Amino acid sequence: MTAVNLMLVIIVLSLLAYALLAGADFGGGGWDMLAGFGRDRSSAEDQRGLISASLGPVWEANHVWLIFVIVCTFSGFPSAFGDIATSLELPLALALVGIVLRGAAYVYRAYGEGASLPDRWWSRIFACASVLTPFMLGVSGGALATGKLRPGSSPLAPFQAPFTILAGLLAVVVTAFLAAVYLCYDASLHPDTQHLVDVFRRKAIYAAVASGAVVLVMLPFFYRDAPVVAARFTDRSLPLAAVSALCGFGSLLVLWKKKYVLARATAAIAVIGVLGGWAAAQYPDLLVGVYTAQAAAAAPSSLDTMLVAMCGGMLVVVPSFLYLLKVFTAPVIEEH
Amino acid sequence: MSGVDAARIETAFSLSFHILFAVFGVGMPWLLLYTEGKWLRSLKNGAGDRTWYALTRKWARVTAVLFAIGAVSGTVLSFEFGLLWPTFMATYGGAIGLLFTLEAFAFFLEAIFMGLYLYGWKRLSPRAHWLTLWPIAISGTLSTLFIVFANAWMNDPVGIGESKGKITADPWAVFSSSVGWSEVTHMFVAAMMCTGGAVAAVYAWGMLRGRRDRYHKLGLGVGLWTVLGLTPVQMFLGDWSARVVGATQPLKLAAMEGVYTTGSNVPLTILGYYDQSTHKIIGGIPIPDGLSLMMGFKTSTVIEGMDTATVADTPNSAVIHLAFDSMVGCGVLVFAVAGLAAATWFLRRRKGLTPRIPHTRFWLWSAIATGPASVIAMLGGWEVTEGGRQPWIVYRLMSVTDAATKSGGLGWSVVATIVIYVGLAAALLLILRKLATGAPPGLDAGAGPDIPSQAPPAAEEALA
Ligand code: HDD
Ligand code: HEM
Ligand code: HEM
Repeated sequence: MTAVNLMLVIIVLSLLAYALLAGADFGGGGWDMLAGFGRDRSSAEDQRGLISASLGPVWEANHVWLIFVIVCTFSGFPSAFGDIATSLELPLALALVGIVLRGAAYVYRAYGEGASLPDRWWSRIFACASVLTPFMLGVSGGALATGKLRPGSSPLAPFQAPFTILAGLLAVVVTAFLAAVYLCYDASLHPDTQHLVDVFRRKAIYAAVASGAVVLVMLPFFYRDAPVVAARFTDRSLPLAAVSALCGFGSLLVLWKKKYVLARATAAIAVIGVLGGWAAAQYPDLLVGVYTAQAAAAAPSSLDTMLVAMCGGMLVVVPSFLYLLKVFTAPVIEEH
Repeated sequence: MSGVDAARIETAFSLSFHILFAVFGVGMPWLLLYTEGKWLRSLKNGAGDRTWYALTRKWARVTAVLFAIGAVSGTVLSFEFGLLWPTFMATYGGAIGLLFTLEAFAFFLEAIFMGLYLYGWKRLSPRAHWLTLWPIAISGTLSTLFIVFANAWMNDPVGIGESKGKITADPWAVFSSSVGWSEVTHMFVAAMMCTGGAVAAVYAWGMLRGRRDRYHKLGLGVGLWTVLGLTPVQMFLGDWSARVVGATQPLKLAAMEGVYTTGSNVPLTILGYYDQSTHKIIGGIPIPDGLSLMMGFKTSTVIEGMDTATVADTPNSAVIHLAFDSMVGCGVLVFAVAGLAAATWFLRRRKGLTPRIPHTRFWLWSAIATGPASVIAMLGGWEVTEGGRQPWIVYRLMSVTDAATKSGGLGWSVVATIVIYVGLAAALLLILRKLATGAPPGLDAGAGPDIPSQAPPAAEEALA
C-alpha cells in the first residue's frame, strides 16, 4: 500500500473512532434535551445524571480523535486542507461553536455549582450544542461528496442540496441511536439506574427506526445530488451497506431481546458500514472534482516520517485508551 | 474588514485566549504531583495529612475546568489554520506536519490520563492515582515542546527542502534549531511561572481577607516558591532568547529596542514610544551603549537597524517595543520580589524566626502581584515573537498577506469568536470565585503555622 493510501486508512479509522466514541457523547446531549418530554419525563433528572456520568471521564479523550483527523488531514493533504476548510467555512465554524459550547457547558455544569448561570441553562446550552455539532459535521461530510464545492463558492453552498441537510440529520439520529444503545448497558450496571434501562431501550428503538427512515429518504437525493460518489457507492460499497442494514435490523432484534452488550456491537457495525461505505465511495477524491488524495498529498518524505511517528504514537496511545475505557466501563456517578 | 485583518485579529485573539488556559494545563499537573505526593507520603504513617489532600482535591477541580476550556479553544485553533491561513497550510502544512502529528499524540495522552486522574479517586489506589499524573505532566510539557517548535520553525524555517514540487522540512534540522530550544525552554518556564503566580495570588488574597489557616499557608507556599524560584532561570533564558533573536532575526531585535540606524554604540532604551515617522523613541530612558554591550560585550558591536529594510518589511516597533518592555518590566519586578524574599529568608533563618517569609500585608501583596505580572510577561512575550516577525508568517519566505484567506465574510466570525470567548471567560471567573471558598469545612481551620492537622482521618475516609 502506498503511503498516501495508508494515511487515508488512518484518517478513516480515526474518523470511525470519533463517530463511535464521541458520536455517542453528542447523542447523549441530544437525549439530555429530550429527557423532559414524553412519557419518561418523570425520570428526567436520573436520565441526565446517567448521561453526564457516562460522559465525564472519557469525553475529552474521545474528542481528541477529531483533532487527530484534522491534524492528519492538514499534515498529510495540505493542499486540499485550505480549500476544504474555506469552502466548508460556515458549517465548520458552526460545528466549532457547538464544540466550544458543549465542552464549556458540560464542565461549567459539572463543577460550577450554579455560580455563573443556573445548571438548567448550562443543560440547555449543552444539549443544543450537542445536536448542532453532529448536524454540521454531517452537512460537511455530505457536501464533500456532492462535488459542488469549489474554493470561493458561496458560504451557503454546503446547505443548498437536500442531500447535505439529510446527511446532517442522519448524523444527529445516528449519534442519538448510538448513545441510547450504549446507555442501556450503562444503566443496567448499577441498581440505582436499573429503572432507566427500559427508558433508553425505548429511545434506542425509536432512534434506530428514525435512522432507517432518514436513510431511505436520503437515497434518491444521494443519487441526484452526489452522482459521482453515489455511482461508486453502488459499485464498491454495497457489501458494506448490506452489512450496515443487516446490523441495523439486527440491533432492533437484539434490543428487543435485551442483549445490551451485543446491541453495542451491532449498533457500532451498522455505523461503521455507513461511514465506511461513504469513505470507500469517496476514494480517491478528497474534494470531488477538485482534489484527489494523490494530488493533494504532502511530499513523500514528509508523509513517511509522519507515518513512522504515528506507528510509534499509537503504540503508546491505544493501550492507554483501552485502559481508560476499561477503568470506566461502569459510569462514575457522584465520584469526582 | 479584509481577509488579512480579520485573520490576524482572530488568530491573535484566539491564540491568546488558548494560551491563558494552556499554561495551567502545563503547570498544574507538576504542582499536583507535589501536593498529592505530599499527601501520599503522609499516608505511610497510617493517617493522611488532610490539608494536602484538600488542596489537591481543590486544585484538581480547578484544573478540570481550565483543562476543558484549553482543550476546546485548542480545537478551534486547529480548524482556524485552514479557515484563516489556507495558503500557508497548503504550502507548508506538510513541512510542519510531523510536529503537529506528535502534538496530537501528546494531547491524546494528556486527555486520557486526565480522565483517569479526575474521575479515578475511588477506582484507583492512591498510589496508582498519583502515578497517572506523570503522563499528564510529561505530555503537557511535550505538547509545549512540539507546538513551540512549530512556531520556532516559522521564525527560523530551517531544513527546508523540496520533493516532487512539495516543500519538506528535515525533522533533524528542525529539532536542532537554537531558536526552537530557546523558545521552548523560555515558554515552559513561563507556563510554570504563570501557574505558580496564579496559585500564589489566590491564596495570598485569601489570607489578606483573614483566612490565615494552614491550608492557605501551604497553598501560598507552593505557588510562591514555584514562581520565585523560576524567575532567575527565566531571566537567563530570556537573555539567551534575545541573543538568538539577534543572530537569526535582526529586525525583530531592532524593533524590540526601537533601533532605526544601523551602527555601533547602540543604546538600550527603557520605556518610551517609538515614533514611526521620525524613527526615534520619545520619552524613553536610554542606557548609553547598552544594547551593543549586551549583544557583543563591547561598545563597538554593530546592531542592524530597521533602516536595512523598507518600512513595509519592518515590524511595528511601537507595539513590539512596548510589549518587550512589559515582559522585561514584569520579569524584573518578580525577580526583585524573589531577591528580597531570598534575603529575608536567610536573615530570618539566622535569627531563627518562623515563618521565614512573614505573612505581612507587604508580602501578601507582593505574592498577589506575581500572578498578573507573569501572565502579562507571557502575553507580551508572545506579542514580541509573533508581531516581531511581521510582515512574514514564515520568516522571509511567505508574507502574512499571501498566507491569509481571501474570504470577505470573516468579520462576523471575528465578532462571534470574541463574544463567545468573553462570555465563557466571564462565566469561568464566576465559577472560579465560587470554587475559591477556602478550606473545606471541618479542616482544622485554626491550626497554627506548621502544626499538622490533629485527628487525622483514616485513609479510607480521606479517599471518599
Ligand atoms: C513569565 C513570562 C516571561 C518573562 C518573565 C520573560 N519572558 Fe521573554 N517571553 C516569554 C515569557 C517571559 C514567552 C511568552 O514565553 C515568549 C514568547 C515566545 C517564547 O518563546 O517565549 C517570550 C519571548 C521572548 C523573546 C522573543 C523570542 C523569539 O522571538 O524567538 C525574547 C527576546 C525574550 N522573551 C526575552 C526576555 C528577557 C530578556 C526577559 C527578562 C528580563 C524575559 N524575556 C522575561
Ligand atoms: C498554534 C498554536 C496552538 C494550537 C493549534 C493548539 C492546539 C491545541 C488543541 C487542538 C488542543 C486540545 C487538545 C486536547 O483536547 O487535549 C490544545 C490543548 C492544549 N494546548 Fe494548545 N495549541 C496551540 C498553542 C499552544 C501552546 C503555545 C501551548 C503551551 C505552551 C499549548 C499547550 C496546550 C496544552 C497543555 C493543552 C491541553 C489542554 C490544557 O491543558 O489546557 N498549546 N491545543
Ligand atoms: C504553529 C504555531 C503558530 C502559528 C501557525 C501562528 C500563526 C500566527 C499568525 C499567522 C499570526 C498573524 C500575524 C500578524 O499579522 O500579526 C499570528 C499572530 C499571533 N500569534 Fe501566532 N502562531 C503560532 C503560534 C503561536 C503561539 C503558540 C502563540 C501563543 C500564544 C501565538 C500568539 C500570537 C499572537 C499574540 C499574535 C498576534 C501578533 C500580532 O498580530 O501582532 N502564536 N500567529
